[in-house]
Amino acid sequence: MTTPNTGLPNSGPPNDSVIHDIGFRHYDGPRLGRGWAFRSLLLETLRGAFGLGRPAKVKIMPWVLIGLFTVPAIVIVAVVILTGGQELPLTYTQYPIAMSLLVSLFLAGRAPYAVSRDLRDGIMPLYLSRPIKRQDYVYAKLLGLAIAVWIFIATPVTVLLIGALLAKFPVRDQLLGWLGGMLMAAVLALLITSIALTLASFTKRRGLGVAAVLATLVLLSGFVSVLVSVVTMQRSGSTGTYFAVLDPYLLVDGLSAAWLGVDPQNDFAQPDGALGTLVFTTALVVIVAGMVAILLRRFRKVGGV
Amino acid sequence: MSTIELVGVSRWFGNVVAVNDVTMTIGPGVTGLLGPNGAGKSTLLGMMSGFLPPSSGTVTIDGIAVWRNPAMYKEIGLVPEAEAMFDSMTGEEFVLANARLHGLADPHSATVAALEKVEMLEAKARRIGTFSKGMKQRIKMATALVHEPKVLLLDEPFNGMDPRQRMHLLALLQQLGTDGHTVLFSSHILEEVEDIAGTIEVVVAGRQAASGDFRSIRRLMTERPHQYSLSSSDNRALAAAIISDGSADAVSLTAQGLDVQASDFGRFVHALPRIARDAQISLFDVTPADDSLESVFAYLVAR
Amino acid sequence: MTTITTSGLTKAFGSVTAVSNLTVELPTGVVGLVGANGAGKSTLIKMLLGLIPPTSGSATILGFDCLTDGLRIREVVGYMPESECLPLDVSATEFLVHMARMSGLPASTGRERAADTLRHVGLYEERYRPIGGYSTGMKQRVKLAQALVHDPKLVFLDEPTNGLDPAGRDDMLGLISRVSSDFGIAVVVTSHLLGELERIADHVVVIDGGVLQRSTSTADATQLSGALLVEVTDDADAVMARLRDLGASVAAGRTPGSFAVELTDESLPAAVVAIVAELGVGLVRLQRRRHHLSEIFETSGVTS
Repeated sequence: MTTPNTGLPNSGPPNDSVIHDIGFRHYDGPRLGRGWAFRSLLLETLRGAFGLGRPAKVKIMPWVLIGLFTVPAIVIVAVVILTGGQELPLTYTQYPIAMSLLVSLFLAGRAPYAVSRDLRDGIMPLYLSRPIKRQDYVYAKLLGLAIAVWIFIATPVTVLLIGALLAKFPVRDQLLGWLGGMLMAAVLALLITSIALTLASFTKRRGLGVAAVLATLVLLSGFVSVLVSVVTMQRSGSTGTYFAVLDPYLLVDGLSAAWLGVDPQNDFAQPDGALGTLVFTTALVVIVAGMVAILLRRFRKVGGV
Repeated sequence: MSTIELVGVSRWFGNVVAVNDVTMTIGPGVTGLLGPNGAGKSTLLGMMSGFLPPSSGTVTIDGIAVWRNPAMYKEIGLVPEAEAMFDSMTGEEFVLANARLHGLADPHSATVAALEKVEMLEAKARRIGTFSKGMKQRIKMATALVHEPKVLLLDEPFNGMDPRQRMHLLALLQQLGTDGHTVLFSSHILEEVEDIAGTIEVVVAGRQAASGDFRSIRRLMTERPHQYSLSSSDNRALAAAIISDGSADAVSLTAQGLDVQASDFGRFVHALPRIARDAQISLFDVTPADDSLESVFAYLVAR
Repeated sequence: MTTITTSGLTKAFGSVTAVSNLTVELPTGVVGLVGANGAGKSTLIKMLLGLIPPTSGSATILGFDCLTDGLRIREVVGYMPESECLPLDVSATEFLVHMARMSGLPASTGRERAADTLRHVGLYEERYRPIGGYSTGMKQRVKLAQALVHDPKLVFLDEPTNGLDPAGRDDMLGLISRVSSDFGIAVVVTSHLLGELERIADHVVVIDGGVLQRSTSTADATQLSGALLVEVTDDADAVMARLRDLGASVAAGRTPGSFAVELTDESLPAAVVAIVAELGVGLVRLQRRRHHLSEIFETSGVTS
């Protein structure tokens, strides 16, 4: 039906050639606003904590640490199954406290990556010129990293659950214990992340941030343990336990005993009665709120548009 | 009078050759140092001011080598590109410290004079950490001027300054050049260089590409036909007349008028008024399109 | 069409007034913002983006109120900062996708627009390499891209040619013109370089110490002045003398062979050509002089 096109103008029916317009395209679709932006930043922080979407060498540290952190849980589970034990030697709430050094290491590595990097790059004007508010940045970073820490802690704790179920321990008890462990893991994650982010937000240098967070968490533990022991020896009663709130791990340890009635990893961290519970809980709220307040102020001052 | 002389100068950092066999003479007056980013301008200024030794060749001022020669520092004022400053000092303290380091007889009045030249007298008591970029640049200039050196080396000196400050300091540099100082300044803002620099030195990837008055340099580029933009009362007729005259290589009609290419610049500019008169065409606009420093520079970089 | 309107806009930080009683209307197209005193410029941008409230006065941008509609404004406005702001360890593609999402674009749209925008600003294979290895010119392009990726109606470009060499400046200025003319996005560009603004700006606003000095279209500010610039190959004195004989007012120029003639009479250009032809001298230049933006700074007593 078609006559051949001789290439001369007006020589036949139009052929099928076309030139497409690849100029700038406008966008009339939905703009998902503040909530979506918040979610994106949170997810980006969360993924960045595990090195996802980054080159391979950035993945090494976090995944090695998860491995190191989980291996003892696997060992415990194996031993329990093989020796026919009746209960987990380390409970769901005790495990993270016993292995707190590895938790600190993980956090110390990831907190500066979440925050110091942004300060060093000076990226705040780019975020602030987008549909978010200043506080959204702080909350997204905090929650993103806290969720990452929570996942980090939850992994071996869940391994313990799997092992307990495989060893045919009573299902209901173990599930309840695991849920309690998940809850305290979340509380711990939020507490130490808020501290670590605040420390990291004061330096643009990643190395310095890592050192500061690690030093603070580790030294605090050592120092507070000594403090509590000394005070307990000097004064009878439970005065010493109140000092435990100064160390985030001891604080959460004590809270798990107070809220859930489980045995704490450290006996001297057990808060005494209702007053003790009140003091510990208040300390938790005050510390987290205080850290968040400092972070908000920090990022109000820094590199605005 | 001071003359900076570079003879066969090269400077390498490992395998990176920042300056490659450059021979140039910078005399009194204002000279512009031009080149793309990374061409070696800052390295050249560093060698001229005694911060770096040449890897080969000699760098002298009035015949005396600059490297490791603190006596020469009195004669040189340098405004470096680096932005880092002593944020905790006030502007005045910083300039005064420089004046004292130079061993001036009356550092205080020299400081005031320098601050006045760069219009920083009002803000002198404020800490440098509170300064805008333009103000920091002016303080840097003041420290380079405070000891009244014969040679002034400036690396992108107007970066961050607003239009009025730029005009004022360009005039200052021009005055210093007229007074017989040797002023060498490197800049990417070619309109400004065109304004005050009598000669230019162009470096490209470490090699010296050209030197002299840029209009003369343009004439030397015989391989590139000169471009002209014309507009007249009858562009088509003018185009035809120019073509038949034979003094141009090519003529094209544009929305504004005519674009003419002429290899023989002299022959064309002499022929044009005659052609227009004989054809009874009124010329409205005759503009050399590539006679600016911007065009000359673009050609030099593209070679 | 007006994009930005301010009315008595003022911002004071304690005893320092960064923006003082600014009342101005900015048209669409490319608007140049010039001025002394850096504090005024960045404070103004922050107020227009709805990030800080004014001390008094008001402003609207694209019909939105800067005081109450900050989030909506930042959905449809782009900003290219002057400062270093790019993460160095990610590729341009990754960075731009993240920025697109942060502007509210859905995931797949963000990816496509990121890729397209990088092409529009002229980044090709390098977009897959980490930004840390880019040249200044490439980094400026990435900064521009993140301001455009979400199809804003207006962009603020803060000193976009900073640090670029002449070729890079040329490219960036061409790109900015295209943003306005081809992409149809209103541009507000700040610059200290009046030559650049003469080249690309349709309208210029001069602010000094937070106070409005001038708001004028570039065309008005660069009108033809009443003088004719002439340049001849030689014998300039003879040409000038002949013109003076005709009663024209002639002043010698700075470069040899150049002079300026006051255009009191429309027949003067023809007279010049006739004289030049008669004397057998070459005509290098015959040009109507224009006013320059720099004249605003010379005469209006703008101080810093």
